[in-house]
Amino acid sequence: MPLINFLIYFLTMIGIYSVLAMSLNFQVGFTGLINFGQVAFFCIGAYTSSLLATKAGAPIIVGFLGGMALSGLFGYIISIPTKSLKADYWAIATLAGGEVVRLIALNEQELTAGPFGVMTIPQPLRWLFSKDTYPLFYLLLVCACVAIIYLVLSLLTNSPFGRDLKAIRDEEDLCLSLGKNVRKLKLQAMVIAGVVAGLAGALFAHYITYISPENFQPIETFLMWAMIIVGGRGNHLGAILGAVVIQLFNISTRFIGGYVPFGSDVMSALRMVIIGVLIVLFLLYRPEGLIKESKKVYD
Amino acid sequence: MLTIRNLRKDFGSLRALDHVSLEVEANSIVGLIGPNGSGKTTLFNVVSGFYEKDGGEIFFKGERIDGLTPDEIAKKGLCRTFQVAKAPEKLTVLENMMLAAKNQTGENPLSAVFRRPRVSTFEKTNLERAMELLELLQLLDLKNEYAANLSGGQKKLLSLGRVFMLDPDLILLDEPTAGVNLTLTMELLKVIKELQKKEGKSFFIIEHSMKVISDICDKVFVLNFGKTIAEGTPEEIRQDEQVLEAYLSGASGGLPREFETG
Repeated sequence: MPLINFLIYFLTMIGIYSVLAMSLNFQVGFTGLINFGQVAFFCIGAYTSSLLATKAGAPIIVGFLGGMALSGLFGYIISIPTKSLKADYWAIATLAGGEVVRLIALNEQELTAGPFGVMTIPQPLRWLFSKDTYPLFYLLLVCACVAIIYLVLSLLTNSPFGRDLKAIRDEEDLCLSLGKNVRKLKLQAMVIAGVVAGLAGALFAHYITYISPENFQPIETFLMWAMIIVGGRGNHLGAILGAVVIQLFNISTRFIGGYVPFGSDVMSALRMVIIGVLIVLFLLYRPEGLIKESKKVYD
Repeated sequence: MLTIRNLRKDFGSLRALDHVSLEVEANSIVGLIGPNGSGKTTLFNVVSGFYEKDGGEIFFKGERIDGLTPDEIAKKGLCRTFQVAKAPEKLTVLENMMLAAKNQTGENPLSAVFRRPRVSTFEKTNLERAMELLELLQLLDLKNEYAANLSGGQKKLLSLGRVFMLDPDLILLDEPTAGVNLTLTMELLKVIKELQKKEGKSFFIIEHSMKVISDICDKVFVLNFGKTIAEGTPEEIRQDEQVLEAYLSGASGGLPREFETG
């Protein structure tokens, strides 16, 4: 039984991170927006939803929608400087943006309870299930969200809108010369990515039932980047596969500490090092990732 | 159609455009020639909104367009190509063409998800037109090839294709025939002339080959050190003393290649 429970936990976390990776991939892989503050969306989605459900006493569904909306709004705000900042400088701005959001969560104690975090976050439809079956239900809920997000993002990236985004990624000046409103398209992409990642945040908060600023360190963004580098950019399946690989590694290494010769302390310190090496190896020898961007072929 | 008055552009202490004034009339093909570094491409960049001007005025169809962003200018019906052809590398040739079509419903993310039948009807119409144009440009066999894999000349053709797809009123072409073989160049010139005659399009073309210029242009402007030093029919330009001097002053001798009539 413990093994089954662990497996369900493991798959649920993979599902949540798949949504985050798909969102990041939508920005980086499709639109060419280098976002180093992806964790901000995650944080906003999680905090908004859990605060609405606990402090405001709103129904959980309202929490979810609120989390997605506020995260989308943050996408709108963070996309504004793309107008005047070049891609690399904008990337630095997003890194700062992510930290600002976490520091607000840490210091705005009236609102967020600061370092103590938000506790006893209610779970959707909890009363319908027993303690043992609820995790399975939640896993199915997460899977349904992954499927819906996958479908919606695929529709978007296969449409003329997605074509515009890819063209912006490859040749921004050309898009301008063809009369495309590049700013607006980037803004729309950021709002969509924000809503998607906000959903992941809400799913996470209501699953774990306790969140604190500790959950939203910049290292989380790094993990999401590792996912899309390993899985492949410009490809939704790649993002999901990347989430599977990195989570598999990240979570499993927490439990093999007793079996490696150097002990669990060293192992946990080595975890990020190994993921870093993995990123380097992929960038050197398989830059397109495990799954390549697919080509749209007409007959 | 396009009126430029006293246009000025400085790069630091270098005056790239020095009070340039010129006019491209509706339904005409106008050439722009000049030695390297004379400011031709800079002029295009300023007119199309990619560079900010430092003085002067630009009117398009009677409206001021200086100060507008490149996409706003393109939407008004003034479109340009680039000297070094640009092509989104991970889009196929056909996708490149489809990209250029204007006012696509599917460019709105909400329509892309919720109004798919309408979007696909538009896509179908655009696809047909794209295929026709690709056939004309002899790129049809490459339609499913990534644009990055095309040769320099083919990319030039593709950028023409995209512009035709966009269907603007005035088309600024920056060396459209450089790197394109002679037979195809002749084809292209035919297409350009046809578009002018049948659809009333206007063209403003930077070109180094005097043969191309004499073939299609109604009028030619000559730029040197950021100033217009001559204007007239191709025949007049070829005999203009000042123009010859501008071209010869930097050359080692003999008539420059540009003036060979082929």
